[in-house]
Formats: sequence, structure tokens, C-alpha cells
Amino acid sequence: MNDPTTLILTSLSSGERHGYALQQDIERFAGVRLGPGTLYGAIARLEERGLIEAVGDAGRRRPYRLTAAGADALETSLAQMRTIVEEGTAGLAHRPSPVLNVAGART
Amino acid sequence: MSIDRSAERLLHWYPASWRARYGEELAGLIVDMSDGRRLSWRLRADVAAAGARERLRVKGVGDPRSGGRMVLWAWAIFVLAGMVVAKTSEHWRSALPPGAHPVASIAFVALIVLAAATAVLVLAGIAVTVPSLVAFLWSGGWSQIRRWILAASVLTAVLVVATAGLAAWAHGLTPAARNGHDALYGAAFLTWVALASATLLAWTKAGTGTADRLSLSPTVLLLHARLTTAIAALMALMTAATVAWWVAVATVAPGALTGPPATPHASALVPALVVAAVLMMLATTLAAAGARRAHTV
Repeated sequence: MNDPTTLILTSLSSGERHGYALQQDIERFAGVRLGPGTLYGAIARLEERGLIEAVGDAGRRRPYRLTAAGADALETSLAQMRTIVEEGTAGLAHRPSPVLNVAGART
Repeated sequence: MSIDRSAERLLHWYPASWRARYGEELAGLIVDMSDGRRLSWRLRADVAAAGARERLRVKGVGDPRSGGRMVLWAWAIFVLAGMVVAKTSEHWRSALPPGAHPVASIAFVALIVLAAATAVLVLAGIAVTVPSLVAFLWSGGWSQIRRWILAASVLTAVLVVATAGLAAWAHGLTPAARNGHDALYGAAFLTWVALASATLLAWTKAGTGTADRLSLSPTVLLLHARLTTAIAALMALMTAATVAWWVAVATVAPGALTGPPATPHASALVPALVVAAVLMMLATTLAAAGARRAHTV
């Protein structure tokens, strides 16, 4: 779930952001600080696949936004994560209670 | 050095095409992240690793020459290992009684024949690019490759002078002095090895850099793909022959690998041979990967 591409798509789902704003936003909601090389490697891949696009003229703080294909890809990715979360939550809910041994320790 | 300058320097890890598209933005992000402080090693490592990945991607994806380039570098590494084996195997025949080492002899002859055959295939791969090279130079391509060719030529000239000087020096020394008993000559020999390695790598860089700029026909690319497979296979056989020769000599007389005077109870694990064997295996693996890529692109 810490895949840089998913984190970038998630951040851009709420609006346009440039590299530094993306990095700050991802750190805020995911607690992950992406290095500049990792971040721009992922941005390049996403732009190449048509999932995000640059906005405006070239410059040091060029913003990016989600494309329609990017929104679909994020939707699919989130649906998969939701399935994993539901599966894990259900598994934990039905987990048998830990048995205590005579010394009182969990087994 | 200013943060801006440091950021600009870090961008050199990336290929030019990538820098042209994202360089300014990435430099801006690096400056923003530094917050006016010195760039951390973690940040530098992250950018360097990402840049190296981009270079590999740019060179590999959709480029039918990337497999041939990998095999050529593999061959250069293999030749370096071969130089080590050649030096280590100078005296093994004379150190053993005649007829005592048939397996070693067969393996060693096989190694020499295979090395010659591989060199011929590498030269054939270069030869088929000559028409494209001529067309490239004719259309003003010299300026694009000049620095590599000049650097390799200068190194070659220095190597020729150094070889002549070292040979004249060695002529006046005893075999023992030439094989590690004269510290000054030993240091000079190691310098010569470094110079020869640098020259070989400089020509490899010149060759691959030039090949990248040539317009090669599908026929030449197909031929290169077939040559890469053959070269990779021959490198695997040479590695096997080297190991077979090493084991055979080590079984009969391990001291024969250390040079004159032969040491009766010497270990067969000669460090130079261990390094050579590892280099051969790495080069063979790289060549196999290159051959595979040459066929799949």
C-alpha cells in the first residue's frame, strides 16, 4: 500500500499538485516521505501511461493532475485494497481468543 | 557549493532525454526539500539510484542494440579476467613433469582455441557495422564520438610506451624477480595492468557509444543477435575450461600456479585466479542476459 504510484494518484485525486506539494501531502496522509528520485521516477511512469498529466508551462513547480484513465486506475487499486482490508478485518474478527496457559501467558 | 549547483550535478545521473523533460522540476524539488541545508546522503543516494534506473530503462527498452552492448561489455570484462589467467598460467607447464597433466593440457588448449574463436566473432560483429560507420562519419558524426576515440587513443599510446618500458625492464630480471620477488617491478606491473584495463574499457566505451549512434539495418541487427548467443555460449565454455584446467593443475601440483620458483605446499586457491574465475562467471552471466535481450527486443 506504500507503492509510490498509488500514493501519487491518491494525492492527485483531491486536486492538482506539483512535486513538492505531492511529497508533503503523501507524508501527511501516509506517513511516507518519498525521496525526490523515487517521486519523479513514479511521476514519469504515470505520465507515460497516461494516468496523470502536467498542467501549464514547464517550470520548477509544474503541477500535475489526474486523467480520466488515472481516476479509473485509482478506483481499481482502491477496490483491491478495500477487498484486502475487509478480508483482513473479517479474519481478525473471527480469530479465536488467545488461550492462556497456566502461567498466564498467551499461546 | 550552492544547493542549486548540487541539485544540477545530481541530475547527471539521469539520461539527457529524461533531464530535458523532468530535470528542471526535479532540481526544484531537491532545492525545496533541502530547505536551504546541505543535501543529505540519503537524498543523494535516492536520486542517484533513480537516475541509474532511468539510464538502464532508456538503454534497454525498445533498443535492439542494448543486448549487443551488454555482450560487448561482458567480453571486455572477460578479457580482463583472461589477462589474469594468462599471467598465472605462464609457468605451469614447465613446473610439471611431461605427461603428468593431460586434462590440464586439453582444457588449456581448448581455452585458447575458444578465446580465439570468440575474438573472431566479436571482430565479425564490429566488421558488419563498418558500412554504417562510414556513412555516419561521412554525415559529420565524428564530433559526437571524438572524445571517446581520442581518450582511448591516448591511453593506447601510453600503454604502448609503458609495455615497451616494462618489457625492457623485465628482460634484465630473473624469473623469480618477475613473479613477485621484486616489489618495485611488481608495483610497475600492477600499474601496467590498471593501464591496460583502462585502455580496454575506454575502447569498449568508444565502441558501444559509437554503435548507439549508427543506423543499423534489420539484417545487421539479426546477425548481431545471433553473434551474441554464440559469444555467450563460448564464454560459458571458456569459463568451464578455465575451471577444469585450474582443478587439473591443482590436483597434480598446486605450487605450479604460483610461478617460479614453484612452492611445493602452496595452496591452489591463488587469489588472482579466484578473482579471474569470479569475473568470468559475472561476464558470462551478463553476456547471457545480453544475448537473451538481443533476441527478445
